[in-house]
Amino acid sequence: MYRGREGQWAFLLHRLSGLAILAYLMLHVFSIGSFIFGERFYMVIHETYDLWPFRIGLLFVTAGVVYHAFNGLRIIVMDFTGFGVAYQRQMWYGVLLISVVSFLYAAWTLYPRLMGGY
Amino acid sequence: MIRARTFTDARQQSHSNAELNWWIFMRISGLILVFLILGHIYMTFIQVSESDATYDAVVAKLANPAWKFYDWLILALSLMHGANGARYSIEDYVRSRPNRAWVKGLFYTVVALVFAFGTVGLFSI
Repeated sequence: MYRGREGQWAFLLHRLSGLAILAYLMLHVFSIGSFIFGERFYMVIHETYDLWPFRIGLLFVTAGVVYHAFNGLRIIVMDFTGFGVAYQRQMWYGVLLISVVSFLYAAWTLYPRLMGGY
Repeated sequence: MIRARTFTDARQQSHSNAELNWWIFMRISGLILVFLILGHIYMTFIQVSESDATYDAVVAKLANPAWKFYDWLILALSLMHGANGARYSIEDYVRSRPNRAWVKGLFYTVVALVFAFGTVGLFSI
């Protein structure tokens, strides 16, 4: 860990969110794809991930995906435009803002479902 | 791994054409995945409860060829994007060559199995 500034944290969060999303993706493909083993097998997994810790976990997956997506766009802007690197810090704060706002939006929209469990 | 700030740097730093092609692939697939995956999350998580993702609902949805294609595109692009991203991490943190070969081999095997499983699932309905 070197004493970098925003760019270092942007990189670290991008890598961590990317690895987390990959882990989630592989579990997700397995849990949805498990319907090929029949309805009982599928529903056992389905009822497990319908428990509240997993439903709240999905909010964090959503936030991680939004961060990774918009930070990825920031990287593309840095790579392919002349002005991108000069504004990377400001863009990163924009990315953080979008991530936090979409996390709150998802939490707000899903609040009754998360609490009520339907 | 290419640590470049711009496309010109990337071209100068890449040791091989394959490495530069992966660098370009990450940008293009990433741009496509932004729309595919944010759309997927919005349609299947924000708008619809995951408790509705019952066996019958999932089988009915995936029987539609449009969703088969959409989901398979996500599966293929995101697994390649994720596998290459994880390869960057493995090459950064697993320093000894024999270990790295084992870790990579095991990891690629798991990714290939997940891809095969997802593809068989999608097209078996």
